[in-house]
Amino acid sequence: MARSAQIISGSAEIDVRLPDFVQRLPVGTYRRLNPTTKLVVAVSEALVAFTVRGWTGPVAVLIVLALTAIAARTGRALLPFLIATIPLTASIVLVNTFLFPGATDPIFGIGPFTPTWTGLEAALQATLRVVAFAMSVAILVLTTRPDDLVGDLERRGAPRGVTFVIGATVRMIPRILQRAGEIAEAQRARGLDTEGRIWRRLRGVLPLAAPLVFGSLNEVEEQTMALEARAFSAQGRRTPLRLFPDDGAQRALRWTLVTGTAVLIVLSIVGRLAFLP
Amino acid sequence: MSWLSRQFSTRVVVLIPVAIAINIVLGYTVQTVLKLPIYLDSIGTILVGVLAGPIAGAATGAASNLIWQYAPGIGGGTIGPFAIVAGVIGFLAGVWGYLGVFRPRPTSGARLWLAVVVGVAIILLLASRIYNNPAYTDPNVGGYPDWVFTAAIAIAVVASFAVAAFILVRRDAAGAWVAAAGALTGIVAAILSAPIAAYVFGGVTGSGTDLIVAALRQGGADVYNASLGQGLFSDPIDKTITSFVVFIVLASLSDRVLARFPLGERLVRPAPAA
Amino acid sequence: MTLALTGVTYRYPGMTRPALVDVTIRVEPGSVLGVVGAADAGKSTLCLVAGGLAPATIGGKVEGRVEIDGAPTGDWRPSDLAQRCGILFQNAETQLSGTAATVWEEVAFGPRNLSLPLREVAERTTWALDVIGIEPLAPRDPGRLSGGQAQLVALAAVLAMRPAFLVLDEPTSQLDPQGTQAIGSALRRLAHETGVGLLVVEHKTDLLASIAEQCVVLVAGSVVAAGPVTTVLADPRLEAWGIAPPSAVRIARAAERAGLPEQVVAAMTST
Repeated sequence: MARSAQIISGSAEIDVRLPDFVQRLPVGTYRRLNPTTKLVVAVSEALVAFTVRGWTGPVAVLIVLALTAIAARTGRALLPFLIATIPLTASIVLVNTFLFPGATDPIFGIGPFTPTWTGLEAALQATLRVVAFAMSVAILVLTTRPDDLVGDLERRGAPRGVTFVIGATVRMIPRILQRAGEIAEAQRARGLDTEGRIWRRLRGVLPLAAPLVFGSLNEVEEQTMALEARAFSAQGRRTPLRLFPDDGAQRALRWTLVTGTAVLIVLSIVGRLAFLP
Repeated sequence: MSWLSRQFSTRVVVLIPVAIAINIVLGYTVQTVLKLPIYLDSIGTILVGVLAGPIAGAATGAASNLIWQYAPGIGGGTIGPFAIVAGVIGFLAGVWGYLGVFRPRPTSGARLWLAVVVGVAIILLLASRIYNNPAYTDPNVGGYPDWVFTAAIAIAVVASFAVAAFILVRRDAAGAWVAAAGALTGIVAAILSAPIAAYVFGGVTGSGTDLIVAALRQGGADVYNASLGQGLFSDPIDKTITSFVVFIVLASLSDRVLARFPLGERLVRPAPAA
Repeated sequence: MTLALTGVTYRYPGMTRPALVDVTIRVEPGSVLGVVGAADAGKSTLCLVAGGLAPATIGGKVEGRVEIDGAPTGDWRPSDLAQRCGILFQNAETQLSGTAATVWEEVAFGPRNLSLPLREVAERTTWALDVIGIEPLAPRDPGRLSGGQAQLVALAAVLAMRPAFLVLDEPTSQLDPQGTQAIGSALRRLAHETGVGLLVVEHKTDLLASIAEQCVVLVAGSVVAAGPVTTVLADPRLEAWGIAPPSAVRIARAAERAGLPEQVVAAMTST
């Protein structure tokens, strides 16, 4: 079953049926939200978690995130994102708990490395902020395909250069990652060290970087001409292809989030939020 | 306006995704596969800045960090909030491009040795400015670990030799300029990164460089100064290496290819004396 | 309507030696003009000049006239020219936009650049896929196609711009025999059924012999031979110019040397 999409062209409304494999509407209540709504939600969450200091900001955002995660049914898919924060959070906890400048309230013992309550508090707050940030990223990534976001931004009038860069980059990363792996493998076969001492590994950087950069640059010229041959430099707005449903409630939510976050940032900068725990 | 749209010709728009992917993939590989204490995640940014101009460079840098943060699979941990720094790195690269810093300057004889002296002097001058920073040497703080100083001196000496060798082997005085531009970019990056690291992430980034932060804090530096000290240690080295990689890449592209980019004519070698 | 180059000399930016010297060719609608030549004979340059990308996109200096239906192509912006004369390159991968999730969207990329109404974008996309005969590929990921399939998609993508002429720069050089055959039959159909005029640079003279009517030989940037494809590709000087003659010609010559009757040789050459 093909979904009919409507676009306004001049004054005439035209019904065009796109094939299903092009329209690809996401399934599920949260996933079906307009991609830009999900982007605004994620960015607001990250900004609030970072700007509202103390416990209030990160804890409040984490509660919202937990509810969102349930609504979006992300389930176990969140776990890898949380696990990925462990090196950072461990570092935050260790460095701040044991080495917090000026803290004078030791938890126990006396020695060169004394844990302090002040340090522990700062460490836990920073950890919560990092976890909140990681979760906001994870929920966006898990519920919103980059193509959908780019498509919706394009419909909202983002310049063709911007949407091309995002769309092309997302597809290029796996390709270049694979190429880097092949180059590293080839260099290793020629006796280059990727495991040994730091100095030996450092010498491996140029043999890795140079072919990677050259190989990729070589394609720029031909792709430029191919894009010109497909009228990439034409003036005006590109025809939007895939349309994502939007409604008044989502529009209101977006504006509320944008203004609310802006107000919180300003209040935080001028110090009017200091009363919060 | 035409100045701006010139920086975003179709060729540049095609180059930017390539540059961003190189940033992310190389940064990811260097940091997690080679496990080196440098970042090497701004080669593409500096390349675009030098070839296309400050605004294109800034856009590439900022977009790199944001896309890396949200890229599925190799998600960038703490990289997103540093988008501003990456943008400034790209902007500076555009300025260096305008000034012709990355143009090869074949030289010989006495002038070559002059370039060596200038290059080494710039490195030692910057090194002394960095390593006399209060983050390391504030008398009120005191007790900074000795290895920081030892490592600093060792790195400055190695860097001087490397730059001198580069200039002499390639017979190219541009090495001195590239080193200066890279080190300056690094210092600016460090100064901008420190408040972000301190404010957003409690002063650490979860990578190997946290050891330096810990050492500085143990010496008594506060959260901000410990991050600044770490940045001033890592960033100039990283950005200097990156700048040399970009210079080598540009020098091996043909004039025909270079000339098609917005700042291309500032990168083309001087015509050989007829 | 004709794509005509008249006395064209072209120099790349910063070069004093011209890459093309006094080249005159004509491509008629619905016909195929083949171009052969050794490496560095200026074949790719000819494509860029005929397709209008040189000097518009890569710079350089053109003397002489490059015209479509009597109007100089240099007067059009690249995006307008793209709708009159399309160009296809060797490497399929770099020609795809790299932004599309499906082949259908990849082909729609060009028409969307023109801000056409969605209905027309969809019509052109479906038409181009149909003409090239790759509708089954429409839902596929363009990044996971074989070389031959990707080149067919690139061809459909250029065709969706609805150009009157198409310039192809060694479209099969990176393809296996199967891919080459697929491109060959798509090009034949294209010229005969849609009336698009084709300029095909190709070192596979067998392929050219089967699709082109006219042929020119390029040596060091100059046209040294021109005429019906059977005559030009049977020219005894071909090997001296660095071009391998089609197998039919080679077989015929071997037969001649072996002393087979003249009728047999003639029958062989004509196929």
